Amino acid sequence: MPSPATTPPVSTGNPATREPVFQVRGLTRVYGGGEAAVTALHGVDFDLFRGELIVLLGASGSGKSTLLNQLGGLDSPTSGTLRYRGRDLGAAGEHELTQFRRDAVGFVFQAYNLIPSLTARENVALITEICRDPMTPETALGLVGLASRLDHFPAQLSGGEQQRVAIARAIAKRPELLLCDEPTGALDVHTGITVLEAVERINRELGTLAVIITHNAILADMADRVFTLSDGRIVSERTNTRRGLVCDLAW
Amino acid sequence: MAQLWPLTSDLFHEMNLLDRKLLRDLRALLSQALAVALVMACGLTMMIMTRSLILSLNTTRDTYYSQSRFADVFVRLKRAPNAVRAQLSAISGVATVETGIAMQVTLDVPGLDLPAVGLLNSIPERGEPVLNRVYLRAGRLPFSGTTRRELAVGEAFAEAHHLRPGDTISAVLNGTKQTFHLSGIALSPEFIFEAPPGSALPDNKTYGVFWMPYKELATAFQLYGAFNSVALTLAPGASEGAVIAAVDRLLAPYGGRGAYGRSNHPSHRRLDDEIRVLQGLSIAFPLVFLSVAAFMTNSVMSRQIALQREQIAMLKACGFSNAQVGAHYFKFSLAIVLVGTGLGGIGGILLGHRLVGLYHLFFRFPRLDFLLDTRVLVAATLVSALAAFLGVAGAVYRAVRLPPAEAMRPEAPASFRPALLERLGAARWFSASFRMSLRNIERRPVRSGLTCLALALATAILIVPNSFRDGISHVIDFQWDIVQRQTVTLSLVEPGSVRALADFRHLPGVVLAEPFRYVPVELRAGPVTRRLLLQGLADHGILSRVIDAHPRQLTLPARGIVISAKLADILRVRPGDEVVAKVLEGEERELAVPVAGLAEDFAGTAAYMELSALNRLLLEGDRISGAHAVVAADRWEEFLLAVKNTPRLAGCVVKASVREGFRQTTAASIGLLQKIYLLFATIVAFGIIYNSARISLSERARELATLRVLGFTRGEVSAVLVGELVLLTVVALPLGLLLGSGLAAGIITTVNTETVRLPLVLTPSNYAFAVLVVALASALSALFAARKLADIDLVSALKALD
Repeated sequence: MPSPATTPPVSTGNPATREPVFQVRGLTRVYGGGEAAVTALHGVDFDLFRGELIVLLGASGSGKSTLLNQLGGLDSPTSGTLRYRGRDLGAAGEHELTQFRRDAVGFVFQAYNLIPSLTARENVALITEICRDPMTPETALGLVGLASRLDHFPAQLSGGEQQRVAIARAIAKRPELLLCDEPTGALDVHTGITVLEAVERINRELGTLAVIITHNAILADMADRVFTLSDGRIVSERTNTRRGLVCDLAW
Repeated sequence: MAQLWPLTSDLFHEMNLLDRKLLRDLRALLSQALAVALVMACGLTMMIMTRSLILSLNTTRDTYYSQSRFADVFVRLKRAPNAVRAQLSAISGVATVETGIAMQVTLDVPGLDLPAVGLLNSIPERGEPVLNRVYLRAGRLPFSGTTRRELAVGEAFAEAHHLRPGDTISAVLNGTKQTFHLSGIALSPEFIFEAPPGSALPDNKTYGVFWMPYKELATAFQLYGAFNSVALTLAPGASEGAVIAAVDRLLAPYGGRGAYGRSNHPSHRRLDDEIRVLQGLSIAFPLVFLSVAAFMTNSVMSRQIALQREQIAMLKACGFSNAQVGAHYFKFSLAIVLVGTGLGGIGGILLGHRLVGLYHLFFRFPRLDFLLDTRVLVAATLVSALAAFLGVAGAVYRAVRLPPAEAMRPEAPASFRPALLERLGAARWFSASFRMSLRNIERRPVRSGLTCLALALATAILIVPNSFRDGISHVIDFQWDIVQRQTVTLSLVEPGSVRALADFRHLPGVVLAEPFRYVPVELRAGPVTRRLLLQGLADHGILSRVIDAHPRQLTLPARGIVISAKLADILRVRPGDEVVAKVLEGEERELAVPVAGLAEDFAGTAAYMELSALNRLLLEGDRISGAHAVVAADRWEEFLLAVKNTPRLAGCVVKASVREGFRQTTAASIGLLQKIYLLFATIVAFGIIYNSARISLSERARELATLRVLGFTRGEVSAVLVGELVLLTVVALPLGLLLGSGLAAGIITTVNTETVRLPLVLTPSNYAFAVLVVALASALSALFAARKLADIDLVSALKALD
């Protein structure tokens, strides 16, 4: 697997001529069996490319969390294929998936999920200690505007600050994919915008493929492409010719 | 079986709903509840076993004493005519008197190449003895007046030599070797502990007790119409001291060697010592284990209650009272107690039976059955219920005190700060996961401290039996390499002239012989008195030596007495003080002698004087009781043959045989002790680590799931989970070694009796073993608990906290 750091710089050509980071075909996930079976994803198809900022919109129960779990290597499809840089993640074992998450994926959770016993700097360092070519925790926290809060514990930080630490933790490994699950779900508008600006900046400056999952349609304006999910299917796909500025968003 | 299920299922429906919840919760926490119950069971096993053994020994002894009419006062003398018996009966306070003859002789046992020592006791010509009745295990009592000479043999000696009624044995009686047929195998309340007076352990190969008809024994020793041994019982309310004084006055002209009561009776006292040791064990160990179990109950229940915070709020909101909710959780811990008590009861009974079997090696009763002390079973249940109640009370109190509305909200996030070590500036060397462990430990100091303490206790209890083992091995080496360096000890029937020494030196193979003189004395200092054999030893002897605590050989001074350090404690004297020695043999004399030094010894108590100094004091001229000798190995057979046929010899004790007997007997009991403690320490270490890991896993499930999502492998997450426990174990191990050393020292001090003492020996291998066992048990337990990490739901980490 190529390290994100060694991949070529962002190509600005037509998406059709670029090699996709993710290639998803007929992705289906069924939970349970027999009469109690619930189909969370019904044969979803799409490609995701390097440097893109994607917003996945959907109401609760639409299948967006299931899709995020598939992309993040937390779950395997029931049928269909899920290819990451040509490799079939659907067939990967637990060890391979762990390695995939470790090297390629940065997660940002709705509830931040910081380790309460570690400071901001240490929460980031926890990850930089285990990956191959990380940036320093200080650099990562600088990118999200927290250079002055390095030695604060989660309990001493505001929600927005905690979420930005989580973003710093996610990007410190220079991931190829940044997965954000309702990153602003627990935040007010002002704080939410600071957090989204951080995501947008990472995507722009590092060329990281960023996928934001949300039920908040307003976030669609900041994306390159917007997928809308409903009942386990992609019901619409929209390409923004020009990405909106995060600071112009309002909800 | 088919019938059972509907039945239990009906029962299940009959239960109230809270109890049904209780059952299901218990099932979910089964392994943790079991870990607590097992630790509790260890304590209860010890408690039930020791209390039941005390009951068994006490009851059996009391019954045996009363059925066999065990005497209250005993005395040996040189010789008194049978007429004196009436005078003894006339002493005020004396109820019953039994007189007889007791003589020590050399035995020649078929199959035993070395001579053994036998104590021959007379039985009346007609009828049973009035006191100290003999119990027949097999065969019958010896008949008198037949041409066939007969003996009954004590059970321990008979078992050691596989003797059966009908077998023959030879003994040298007053210079004449005679062959006897064994008529039966017998037991006596006087020889429950069948060993030479003063010895801590039996040596059944070379010391035995026998019974033969009075007439034959008396005739052989020219004592017909006389006696040299008295046993008597006291009338109700009589003063033992007054009777003893009167008996001593009466028997003084007949060579009385001083009467003594049951408390100084060697067999009785050895049994008493054993019961005292058991009493100590019955309190200390259960206390330790039950405290650990109470702590474990507390941590399991605190976690359970924290997890069920919202359920408690719901119950209270629905109208359940604080008492009902409290009772619900108390029942939870009571269930653990019941399992613990059940297991402890079974363990105590099984182990008790094993130990009763082992006691048979030491104590000979007609029948020693394990008696379950049912009162202690009830007490044990109450004690552990109390421990569990204390364990759960705090957590329940905190939970029910919360107003329902507040309890419905999730607990506030934990705040942390840098750990002490980091604040001291060591931070830069620590990895992030190491810091997590340090800070988690510091955030819950009480829980961490108690976990650490419990692990330390597990380490400590391993130190104890091994320090006993090492202490015994030290005693063996000390006693038979440093103190006694002879091959054999030869003793005369009666103290004889120093010419006997020349005879000993002429025995085949004897390279070196040093004389000794044993005189029975009573040592007195202030109000305290002790009876023992005063040993006169050769000045600058190289065989039997007197060694001090350093250990250096003490030079026996021309004047003065050297006594055991333990005896000095008992008499409350120090070197330079005077003690009064009353000679209990021949003419009664009292001599004041200064204490010249203190000797180190581990079994019984002893007093030593330089041989010629002793003889000068006794005004008897140069007399000896026997000699310690070195025998050349290549002439051993020849030597033994000569000894067995030497008439004047009362005994020949072979050092190697005594040493081996001692080693075997101690190995059997220490071996069992080691196994028990090993099992218990493993259970505690395993249980405490398992529970801590499971609780940590439950409390930090979200944190650990997050790490997995972030790309930590299962191994790395396990390391984060157990890092804290590894740290605690690392602190606990040295603490445990320290605690164990203290515990061993404490127990050795309490077990430090007049009959048995042990030195405190702590070796690196003892420490290494304890560390290894606890580290291994902890590691396996942590691995076992960490398997549960596989069940962690990664997706749950992504869910928002409600």
